[in-house]
Amino acid sequence: MSSPHVNVPSSNRRLETFTYDDHIVKLFVIATIVWGAVAILLGVTIAFQLAEWRVNMGIPWTTFGRLRPLHTNAAIFAFCGNAIFAGIYYSHQRLLKARLFNDMLSKIHFWGWQGIIVLAAITLPMGFTTGKEYAELEWPIDILITLIWVIFAVNFFGTIIRRRERHIYVAIWFYIATIITVAVLHIVNSFEIPVTLTKSYSLYSGVQDALVQWWYGHNAVAFFLTTPFLGLMYYFIPKAANRPVYSYRLSIIHFWSLVFIYIWAGPHHLLYTTLPEWAQTLGMVFSVMLWMPSWGGMINGLLTLRGVWDKVRTEPGLRFMATALTFYGMSTFEGPLLSIKSVNSIAHFTDWIPGHVHAGTIGWNYMLIAGVLFYLVPKLWNAEIYSKKLANTQFWLATIGILFYIVSMWIAGISQSLMWRAMDDAGRLMYPNFIETVIKIVPMYWLRAIGGTFVLISFFIMIYNMIKTARSGKKGEEVVYEAYALDDTSLEPNAPTHRKLEGWPVIFSILSFLAIFVGSAIEIIPSVISDKYITKIDAIKPYTPLELYGRDVYVREGCYTCHSQTVRPLSHEVLRYGKPSHASEFVYDHPFQWGSKRTGPDLARVGKKYPHMWHYKHFWDPREVTAGSIMPRYTWLFDGKIDYKTLPKKLQVMQKLGVPYTDEEVQNSVANAKAQAQGIADELALSGVPAKIVEMDVVALISYMQRLGSDYATVPDDTPELATPAVDEETPVEAAVEEAQ
Amino acid sequence: MKQEVLKNWDLPMVSVAALLIFVICFAAYTYWTFKATNKKVYEEASNIPLGDANLASPSNKGNVV
Repeated sequence: MSSPHVNVPSSNRRLETFTYDDHIVKLFVIATIVWGAVAILLGVTIAFQLAEWRVNMGIPWTTFGRLRPLHTNAAIFAFCGNAIFAGIYYSHQRLLKARLFNDMLSKIHFWGWQGIIVLAAITLPMGFTTGKEYAELEWPIDILITLIWVIFAVNFFGTIIRRRERHIYVAIWFYIATIITVAVLHIVNSFEIPVTLTKSYSLYSGVQDALVQWWYGHNAVAFFLTTPFLGLMYYFIPKAANRPVYSYRLSIIHFWSLVFIYIWAGPHHLLYTTLPEWAQTLGMVFSVMLWMPSWGGMINGLLTLRGVWDKVRTEPGLRFMATALTFYGMSTFEGPLLSIKSVNSIAHFTDWIPGHVHAGTIGWNYMLIAGVLFYLVPKLWNAEIYSKKLANTQFWLATIGILFYIVSMWIAGISQSLMWRAMDDAGRLMYPNFIETVIKIVPMYWLRAIGGTFVLISFFIMIYNMIKTARSGKKGEEVVYEAYALDDTSLEPNAPTHRKLEGWPVIFSILSFLAIFVGSAIEIIPSVISDKYITKIDAIKPYTPLELYGRDVYVREGCYTCHSQTVRPLSHEVLRYGKPSHASEFVYDHPFQWGSKRTGPDLARVGKKYPHMWHYKHFWDPREVTAGSIMPRYTWLFDGKIDYKTLPKKLQVMQKLGVPYTDEEVQNSVANAKAQAQGIADELALSGVPAKIVEMDVVALISYMQRLGSDYATVPDDTPELATPAVDEETPVEAAVEEAQ
Repeated sequence: MKQEVLKNWDLPMVSVAALLIFVICFAAYTYWTFKATNKKVYEEASNIPLGDANLASPSNKGNVV
């Protein structure tokens, strides 16, 4: 059960004694539990908000659009993040037989990360957001994240340098890939130019921003919610089962295939958009290929339990881990399926996607975290699990809750998609009014919220169980371990290549970087550098200062969490919304706002579709113009004043980003914005709206809404710069365009 | 110049090349990993997490290096 070199005659070797830093692991365990409760509570809250709009409470910082980013950030970076750090710091020390590199770095890492989470919890509800999913935090926090991540990396790699075990085990490979890739993703996606301390604009625009964002977004799932958890799986399942991993050789194939393939898959979030066709196809093909290594890992984990299935019935930790693997298998089957273009055309923008995502985050991440905690807490606090019965109750509540969630979202997603695309014999939409398709699925939103409540209750049961377990622990002296120092006796000159590689962490890290770099470079660099995909058309003009301000309000309120701004070249979308989107429409969009979900309708063609008064009423109370709407009221837009003095700086930053504002336009931005606002206010005044509305945020937002798609509407279809968007051959787009016109 | 090159970059060719490189690498490391002669070494490696460091003997206790 020990590594080969331990049996070398000890006379020539130096025996060292050391301790592990388990205090830091305990802190991360506590943070995991605290932030896990917060993340799930937020999730349940926004689930009820979708079922019943009044749960938004009419307060800006409790509205869905602001809480949803907080929920996703809390779940990914606070709950899962702290769990990852706890698991990594515990297993890393033991796999390397070395204490963490530096206790002070560990503390800075812990408190720095908690500080970031607190800042996120303050700024996101206040509406300080970049408007890019899972990367909403503004630039000062982005810099802080980078610093803390570097401290984590130094502590991690420093421990490897001080190790007493020659070979770095498979779990550590996954940790290395995580640290390297998350750093690359975060830095590249966070390039932005600050306007103020709390506002910045993305360096990229439109199609390019979309590609970089979903390269990041997908790989945040891959390298924050998957690879570190696979590392934890490779350590904690063998430990809990007291059996070696089923196939170490399979783990080698698993690791290299997964890290190479995963990075390519991002564009499957952008199928049928104006992203170049070749990038979409690459994203789809690599997503399907991803099935192979994902299932390789799942099978490796499950087969590690061969011969100890009786323990799965009796040991809570193993039971949670086995179930996590089952959900991992399910969601990694569903993911590639959803990436196939024809399936994606049905599922994308529907509730099927959140259903799929939560099969991963609740089924895989929460379950595995619970399994790891049931292993760690008794060890760290020197105690027995307080109640296996409670753990059993937790398990069944969580499992039933997840199933409620997934099944209700399958039904909602497929129902809504079928209604969106349903046409009668004459080729007309059977449900032309979007709200019909919303009302139909509200009962599923209730079921989802109930399922989420089950999961939340299960989590509170776990908290109680963990507290009681920790309190029953006996205080002991710090345990001192001994192991031989790393020396030449552990070298294996005739070992297979990969075995040697496991003893060369620097080369291993470089190869891991290359594995993720190839796909990233091929997909992103040409698209970002080349102007081939950003054809500019004269009719598409930059936003006016007031519209730009209104766009910032749109981003601040998180409208992109429920509304898309891209019309796919599918006949039913063209019939419902208008002409398919073209890349040239988005060249001044820093950031892009295509969204990923249509709880409400697409807005790419909403400009000038309704009078100003319609929007005015809609923001005051959506049900005044759309009976049955589940959108919250935005009454604070009628009190919040437009901050005109920020406009020159905003336009200057846009100039730096390549938006062709003249210096004169920058200088006159305030006067121009006030004039445009006055025009809108004058029209509203005809319907009895008080004149003071001219100063309020709602006017800026109306100006932005009225601009959406209005430039592109003036572009003739035979304009040479317009390349034909990607079209499904079976889709009669041209006929639909004519119909729509 | 750079823009011109990138404009005309035959991207499908590049991605197909990357795919081929992956398939070749995959086949190669699968072969090397699953070679029968390597089995014993990797089986030993799989025991690393189970081979915890030994508790220090009482005389060493507290004598941390």
